[in-house]
Amino acid sequence: MNKGYLCIVLHTHLPYVRHPEHEDFLEEDWLYEAITETYIPLISVFEKLLQDKVDFRITMSLTPTLISMLQDPLLQDRYLKHINRLIELGHKEVERTRWMPDFQNLANMYLTRFYETRNTFERYHKDLIRAFKNFQDAGKLEIITCGATHGYFPLMEVVPASIRAQVKVAASHYERVFGRKPAGVWLPECGYYSGYDEILKETGLKYFFTDAHGVLHGTPRPKYGVFAPVYCRSGVACFARDLESSKQVWSSIEGYPGDYAYREFYRDIGFDLDYDYIKPYIHPDGVRISTGIKYYRITGSDDKQPYDPHLAQKRAAEHAGNFMFNRQKQVEYLSELMQKKPLIVSPYDAELYGHWWYEGPQWLDFLMRKIYFDQDTLRMITPSEYLNENPRNQVIMPSTSSWGWKGYSEMWLQGANDWIYRHLHEASERMTELAKGYHNVNGLTKRGLNQALRELLLAQSSDWAFILGTGTHTSYAVKRTKDHLLRFTRLYEDIRANNIDEGWLADIEYKDNIFPDIDYRVHQ
Amino acid sequence: MARVKKIKIRSKKAAPRKMAIAKRRPALKKLSGIKIKNDFPGQAQLAVLSAKYSPAQVAQVKRPEVRELPRKYDRDRIVLQVRDPWWLHSYWGLKDSTIERLKSELKDDFYRAQRVLRVYDVSQINFNGHNAHRFFDLYVNEHSDSWYIDTGAPGRSWCVDLGFMLPGGRFLTIIRSNTVTTPIEGPSWITDEEWMIPEDMFSRLYGMGFGFGRSSPVGKDWRKKALFSGILSSPGITSMASPVKKPKAKKFWLTVNTELIVYGATEPDALVTVQGKEIKLRPDGTFTLRFALPDGKQVIPVKATSNDGTDTRAITPVVNKETK
Repeated sequence: MNKGYLCIVLHTHLPYVRHPEHEDFLEEDWLYEAITETYIPLISVFEKLLQDKVDFRITMSLTPTLISMLQDPLLQDRYLKHINRLIELGHKEVERTRWMPDFQNLANMYLTRFYETRNTFERYHKDLIRAFKNFQDAGKLEIITCGATHGYFPLMEVVPASIRAQVKVAASHYERVFGRKPAGVWLPECGYYSGYDEILKETGLKYFFTDAHGVLHGTPRPKYGVFAPVYCRSGVACFARDLESSKQVWSSIEGYPGDYAYREFYRDIGFDLDYDYIKPYIHPDGVRISTGIKYYRITGSDDKQPYDPHLAQKRAAEHAGNFMFNRQKQVEYLSELMQKKPLIVSPYDAELYGHWWYEGPQWLDFLMRKIYFDQDTLRMITPSEYLNENPRNQVIMPSTSSWGWKGYSEMWLQGANDWIYRHLHEASERMTELAKGYHNVNGLTKRGLNQALRELLLAQSSDWAFILGTGTHTSYAVKRTKDHLLRFTRLYEDIRANNIDEGWLADIEYKDNIFPDIDYRVHQ
Repeated sequence: MARVKKIKIRSKKAAPRKMAIAKRRPALKKLSGIKIKNDFPGQAQLAVLSAKYSPAQVAQVKRPEVRELPRKYDRDRIVLQVRDPWWLHSYWGLKDSTIERLKSELKDDFYRAQRVLRVYDVSQINFNGHNAHRFFDLYVNEHSDSWYIDTGAPGRSWCVDLGFMLPGGRFLTIIRSNTVTTPIEGPSWITDEEWMIPEDMFSRLYGMGFGFGRSSPVGKDWRKKALFSGILSSPGITSMASPVKKPKAKKFWLTVNTELIVYGATEPDALVTVQGKEIKLRPDGTFTLRFALPDGKQVIPVKATSNDGTDTRAITPVVNKETK
């Protein structure tokens, strides 16, 4: 009989970056890298666990923007081109490293992986969402939704219609993709402000997540801290992050990913090799970028040693054992204090696994196997299953919070990005005005209204404010914010003047083609 | 592929802006505005879709593309947002007509008045303008349109007036903000009766939530100041935002690597092996191979065999590399 539960949540998000108007677009590589290094490795792990009949549980929030990109034919074909180029580079590397066996082994490892990656991609007919849907239908994976474009809700408090649109567009998109209603939602950046869970209830969502202090600082005090969900007054459940388990994986100082045996993220041949040689595989403008082929391990000194996959694999297994041991101790201790089985919620950005921490998917694989085969103290569970087993929970009002820098809204509201809110809020007000003012329209006006909502939602992605806040490579974030707001403004004016330029509208429909079934009337 | 002919005509109702010249061209090129390949996925569908909704004749007015967002909007508005338990952010804007009205009402006082943000503590009340628990004033520059406000007290509700402090000391409200509530900065003092829990048990749970717990043999004390210092922020996304960023600037440094390029040419249909391994020739019969070159001696036999198998040629470069 188990004493407690572990709920691993992978928040899986990328902003909508798709530029049909350019042959090559640097920021589209975010998606291609994540497919090669995170999404497909995770799919491979889940496939093998299923094959070996390991009864695992995992929760993933696949954001509507990411789903839309993974299902977009243009990006699918571009990814295929991308992986084919990597295969070509892999062959050249195997040749180039002929007299350096340590490196040639690695080159061969990458080449094999690239072939496997392409094989997996094609096996799912270029649509990786099919893979995730299979795991959900098999009862192992719980997929939850998010804000439509990952808008940060606490800074939409004055325009709740936009929160409603973010949530409702996401939920109906989910239903269309997965053929069922989403059970829960990952609030973008875990951004919660007290009271807006009513909108979640309206949409039929049963739970969401906050960072630890969202519940620990809730009112009244949570009896079981973060180790059991609570209900908001609306009846929507709230799960809070356990910081101890988070830290073991997240922390750049003490966390597992910093182990010297693991692969060094920053030493990529895209930066290390001779410019003329690598030029065909970096950005066409000649900007050096990561290729994904990295030959060194972290090592712990400047004199980097070649990566040793066997050593790294051994270490990943040890770390999985260590993680499990600590969770066992945690639930043993907690189960003495609680009248129900404690739940440890460990959420991570999915892109941490594989992209940043190369061995992360392996670690997850070991962890889920060990939990299933090696012990009885701990079991994995999804939030829905836990709520079914424990329907009675304390009622509290969670505290305004996020999981970002400093725990509140400063990451998205500081000198570098606060200028955007005047424009975003104005656009939201205008969108509400349009939604309330136009009924029973069709043809061009309806297309214009729907596109206006698409542009507004795309402008609201928290990613732009985040990038502006980090202060590096901000030009793209500025451009996206302005482009969408300007397109929205022009649509607003043209709709009201009953003077929509059909050619221009068709052009932005073609560029910003997300959410084909959107209904502008949700923005109220 | 669907092709739609469109004829733009001048609409009599259209606003008197610059008119586009009527042109006949395929709809597809219009869609993108730039040259695109014909085999774009989704392109044909989109053209069909757009053809479906396009009336045969569309009134169009070409407008110049706006590149910049406006500095302000024609709306009297002040917005208050929560940054964290202690700090608020406010931005505001006034219509030109509001400013003109104030000028005509206040006359010279308009220019002598100072702009003030009056911050009201309206916790747990229905604020009517006069019943705030307390307020404080922040003098703001005439040209400011946003401000960060240090409230000095977390867990309270706040509302802000933008107004004028007139020469006589009278405060005149121009616009009032929405009300926001900041979070408390620690655990709540409220423990409801039904769920009353002993202080020590709560503090153990609370401590564990923050990683102070003794249950875990690994992991040192995790002091509170380190909690949100960014070590928990996402490295994945950080790297996304700055793909080129390296962890730290190095001291002065130098790296030298050597590579060896072996190149040559033969008949395009010949079979060529290098160190016994077959290589692929370019269509013109040339080849280039590139190797990382470690220290030591490399013997590189290159052998070419003619297509009919009757002729062979072999050349064997020997390379010695030494690093001093």
